[in-house]
Amino acid sequence: MATKSVAVPVALRRSTAERSQWSMALERFRAHRPAVIGLVVLAVLSVLSLLAPIVSPYDPDKTQLLALYEPPSLTHPFGTDDLGRDLATRILYGGRVSLSVGLLAVTVAVSIGTLVGVVAGYYGGWIDSLLMRFVDMMYSFPRLFLLILFGVFFKGMTVGVIVLVLGVLSWMTTSRLVRATFLSLKSREFVEAARCIGAGDRRIIVRHILPNSLAPIIVAATLGVAAAIIAESTLSFLGLGIQPPTPSWGNMLNHATTDMDKAPWIAFFPGFFIFLAVVSINFIGDGLRDALDPRHVIRG
Amino acid sequence: MAVGLVIAGCGQPPPVTGTSPAPSASASAAASPTRGGTAIIAIWQEPSTLAAHYANQTVTDVVNFGVIEGLTSTTTDGEYVPNLAKSVPTVANGGAKLSADGKKLDVTWELKPGIKWSDGTPLTSADIKYTWEIWMKDPKTNSRTGFSEIESIDLPNELTAVVHYKSVYAPYPNNFFSLMPKALLEKEADISKTDYVRRPLGTGPFKVTEFKAGDSITLEKNTNYRGAPDKPYLDKIIFKSVPSSQVALAQLQAGEVSAMWNLTEAQTPDAEKMAGVALQVVPGPTVERIELNTAQNKENPDPNSVHPVLGDIAVRKALLYATPKQQVIDKLLFGKAKAGSSPVSQGWAAYKGTQEGYDPAKANTTLDQAGWVKGSDGIRSKGGVRASLTYATTTGDQLRERVQQVLLDEWKAVGIEVKIQNQPSAVLLSGSCASKDPRKLGTFDMVMYASTPAIDPHSTVASRYHSKQIPTAADCSGQNYTRFKNPDADKAIEEAGATLDLEKRKAAYNTAIKLLNDAYVIIWMYDRANIDARRTELQGWQPNVWQRFTWNVQDWYLKK
Amino acid sequence: MGRYVTRRLLQALPLLFAISVASFAILKATPGGPLAAYEGNPDFTEADRQRLEHAFGLDQPLPIQYLSWLGSFLKLDWGYSFSSHQPVLTLIGERLPNTIYLMGTVFVVVLLLAIPIGVLTAVRQYSVFDHVVTGATFTFLSTPTFWLGLLLIILFGLQLRWLPLGGMATPGAPFELGDRLRHLVLPVATIALVQLGSHVRYLRASMLETIGQDYVRTARAKGLAERVVVMRHALKNAAIPLVTVVALDVPELFVGALVTEQIFGWPGMGRLFWDAATRSDYPVLQGILAVSSTLIVLANLLADVMYGYLDPRIRYS
Repeated sequence: MATKSVAVPVALRRSTAERSQWSMALERFRAHRPAVIGLVVLAVLSVLSLLAPIVSPYDPDKTQLLALYEPPSLTHPFGTDDLGRDLATRILYGGRVSLSVGLLAVTVAVSIGTLVGVVAGYYGGWIDSLLMRFVDMMYSFPRLFLLILFGVFFKGMTVGVIVLVLGVLSWMTTSRLVRATFLSLKSREFVEAARCIGAGDRRIIVRHILPNSLAPIIVAATLGVAAAIIAESTLSFLGLGIQPPTPSWGNMLNHATTDMDKAPWIAFFPGFFIFLAVVSINFIGDGLRDALDPRHVIRG
Repeated sequence: MAVGLVIAGCGQPPPVTGTSPAPSASASAAASPTRGGTAIIAIWQEPSTLAAHYANQTVTDVVNFGVIEGLTSTTTDGEYVPNLAKSVPTVANGGAKLSADGKKLDVTWELKPGIKWSDGTPLTSADIKYTWEIWMKDPKTNSRTGFSEIESIDLPNELTAVVHYKSVYAPYPNNFFSLMPKALLEKEADISKTDYVRRPLGTGPFKVTEFKAGDSITLEKNTNYRGAPDKPYLDKIIFKSVPSSQVALAQLQAGEVSAMWNLTEAQTPDAEKMAGVALQVVPGPTVERIELNTAQNKENPDPNSVHPVLGDIAVRKALLYATPKQQVIDKLLFGKAKAGSSPVSQGWAAYKGTQEGYDPAKANTTLDQAGWVKGSDGIRSKGGVRASLTYATTTGDQLRERVQQVLLDEWKAVGIEVKIQNQPSAVLLSGSCASKDPRKLGTFDMVMYASTPAIDPHSTVASRYHSKQIPTAADCSGQNYTRFKNPDADKAIEEAGATLDLEKRKAAYNTAIKLLNDAYVIIWMYDRANIDARRTELQGWQPNVWQRFTWNVQDWYLKK
Repeated sequence: MGRYVTRRLLQALPLLFAISVASFAILKATPGGPLAAYEGNPDFTEADRQRLEHAFGLDQPLPIQYLSWLGSFLKLDWGYSFSSHQPVLTLIGERLPNTIYLMGTVFVVVLLLAIPIGVLTAVRQYSVFDHVVTGATFTFLSTPTFWLGLLLIILFGLQLRWLPLGGMATPGAPFELGDRLRHLVLPVATIALVQLGSHVRYLRASMLETIGQDYVRTARAKGLAERVVVMRHALKNAAIPLVTVVALDVPELFVGALVTEQIFGWPGMGRLFWDAATRSDYPVLQGILAVSSTLIVLANLLADVMYGYLDPRIRYS
């Protein structure tokens, strides 16, 4: 109880410091033009996808055998696909799937990866050995194989299954990166100093080391979103993607590959939107890295 | 009876629809064939083995037609003609004899004299006997059907073999479709561990000289071939492994290969437009179908249980009426298939009836009358049961997925909700309860796949549509996946199996298939064609319904 | 260091055992089986099926199946493929060189390009060069491999007709170096462009971080040439995350790039695995899994040893 009166001003001081640190980060992020553009593009894509039923007058799954492969026109701005469905509508609905797969899978992967990396890198010893052997084991299973298993087990691929599977199978790189930073930083002077003044493990991890490994985590996460959206399309390529008729940019792109000569727009639009989303996300990650790294000096 | 046995394989000549400049016999006869040259054929599946007794892939036949021969071969009309044998033994010519009680059969084969294996050793009747022995002895052989009916084989002389069947095995002329060399193999304990699986020894026009796994298989002219020195015209054939039919077609267009195996229907419009490329479209006996589960969708259901939705014949009818087969064929298969109507579309027993065509209004009326009422979301229900079904096929098959999505939409329009639940072919078509084949276990509502009957349709009809063939937990062997039960159909199938009178057999199969179709348990989507393509300088092709396009490879030549 | 490596190698044995048990269990838990291939034969009967299941040992209890596999595996008899009936070792033996040839080329090309490009983009941050490289890496990272491969095939193979559409060499033609190289260009480009993107991103990010750090500033303050500062001080430390990523690429040298091998018809390990997976060819899958897990364990050990070399602050005991 006695410490309470002391603790309050400390906490207050810290939060003020934090606030200015965050507002500085926000300023730096704002200065990163590609990141801001990326954020706007991603926001527009997300909103349009969310509002797809309002934005589009078409049913995404309504096939029209008499209107196959119609080139872009006023009625169908992106044309129609191999089954006569409005491509623009399917792009919007596909965005829901692809964006959520990308973001959710990476959230799952980064959470697991950071946790494992922190524990392994900070505590070291047998915990590290055990966790890293587990990472090795996870790595040594070809992802594809587990995907086939999951796909069959869950009777077909849904968004949830793909998110779970991609997330659970792709956290290892993050964990190794985080662990590497921890191995390298935990014997540094500032950590020793923090330990000397009696800081607990939790405090050292969260306040002193973890912020220093944010940069690699953010880079890994942005690359991870890209990878997850692309992984979803590769799964489609191997016949293990989200089941039709639910559209995703990946399965739309894959289904278009056989018609690339005949109807290039069917392949162009899903490919373009994958590219657009991934580039935006990467730029946001880049901006975040610049913004969150206080040592970082902006030059020319 | 005598005639019956001979005609067992032959019947009405099926229509041959060759699009593009179809190679004709007169054309190849008119232009005098040039000798020499190499033909490269793109294949987009790789034969894992070339040993005929192990092979289970179509693509193996494609390669082996140039290498391994049998006693007979089959014409496009389904008629047996002698190949290594002097003639096809029949009751009429005395080659086939029924025992006094009519329960056993003796077949006498006589080999053409002077035939040599490609290594120069002579072909003798001992090779016929050895072929039977190895088929029965080697535990890893593919189906032993036919060989298991043989009691013994006598070899009166070097060129004659008398095969004693313990039953009247009607497809006997095709039993020895691939002969195996005794001299080469008899000392081997396990053929699967020998070089034979990749470089089999045969009597055909070519011999395998190189097998580069995942890359190419090279066949070179067999100088000991009985047609030599005239035939084969080509010096070399290289089967080149490519990853997909798309790459195969691209390589054909670029002239990197001179022919390709097995185009998808969707590729035909592009291929038809390519300069210097000719297609060969041959109708095949393979039928793509959608089978509807009439029993409960759960593991090993009681065959007498009733599916809550598909148990109602009105729903099954409505599903058929709401299926635009012809539109699917025209738009998604580019007209390169025929609307299906039965499991037996080719040969002497071909079923001539049809299935009702596309009529969504009739589908709606049927469902209305049966008491299936549309809800607010447009999906029907009856007595609290929602008309919601699952629909499975093999994952990653683009054509099937397209067909599924179109049908999904059509069925939704008449108030039946269908969800796609595809599974890898290693599961869906595993044919094994242990491997969780949903058809065997009964854990499906609707399943779409293709199946091909043999030239003699009996095994197909009997194992798939007799009520005794419903797979159960106790006996998983049957293939009656829809759980179709009809005593009259059972009787007809049994009758067909008990007589050799062709007309009676044909009528009985027709009766059974009619009853099957009247139960609306299978939607016969389409009869698939075999589509192969070549560059026009490669000449001498002949279509054959029952064979692969390489069946007459000794007649192929390159036009200069 | 020697003792550390020995200890890690000893630790690897139970790990590999655990992996083999787990992969066997996963294989067996996956529905589907090797006999689906016989579905197409109308004459294939239930008796045939039971005979084959017995011949392949599939009717044995699972622990016995595993133990008999392990026993013969240790004796270097890795069993026979269910579909080709070839020894698994032979199958791996004929595919492995092709994969090493492809992936080795990729590995060298990527490293040779990634390091200079990564360093330059960091040193000249926000220069035109940096923007161009960043744009290019983002473009390739944003393109699915199969899509990039198909585009390259359509452009260089079909439209321009500069390069062959697939395979390792022109079939039937005698060996020729130029022919080999032309077949190598597109698959290498497909994999390298994507890998390059990710390696450059990692290197750039960590270079930027190290450049701003005290010891680099100190080095600079000591008056060392910028070149020396960057190469000797910054790069060595910045390479740590890259080493992680590169070391983890090593197993890929042997396991192959499944999608690319599939698109270009490259007869490597990736296609062998995929074919075996679609056919439930258990002996082949077990063999490949055993090889790949061993390689991964070794690659991780390599990565750890290299940390020790690159960052002396890390001590192994």
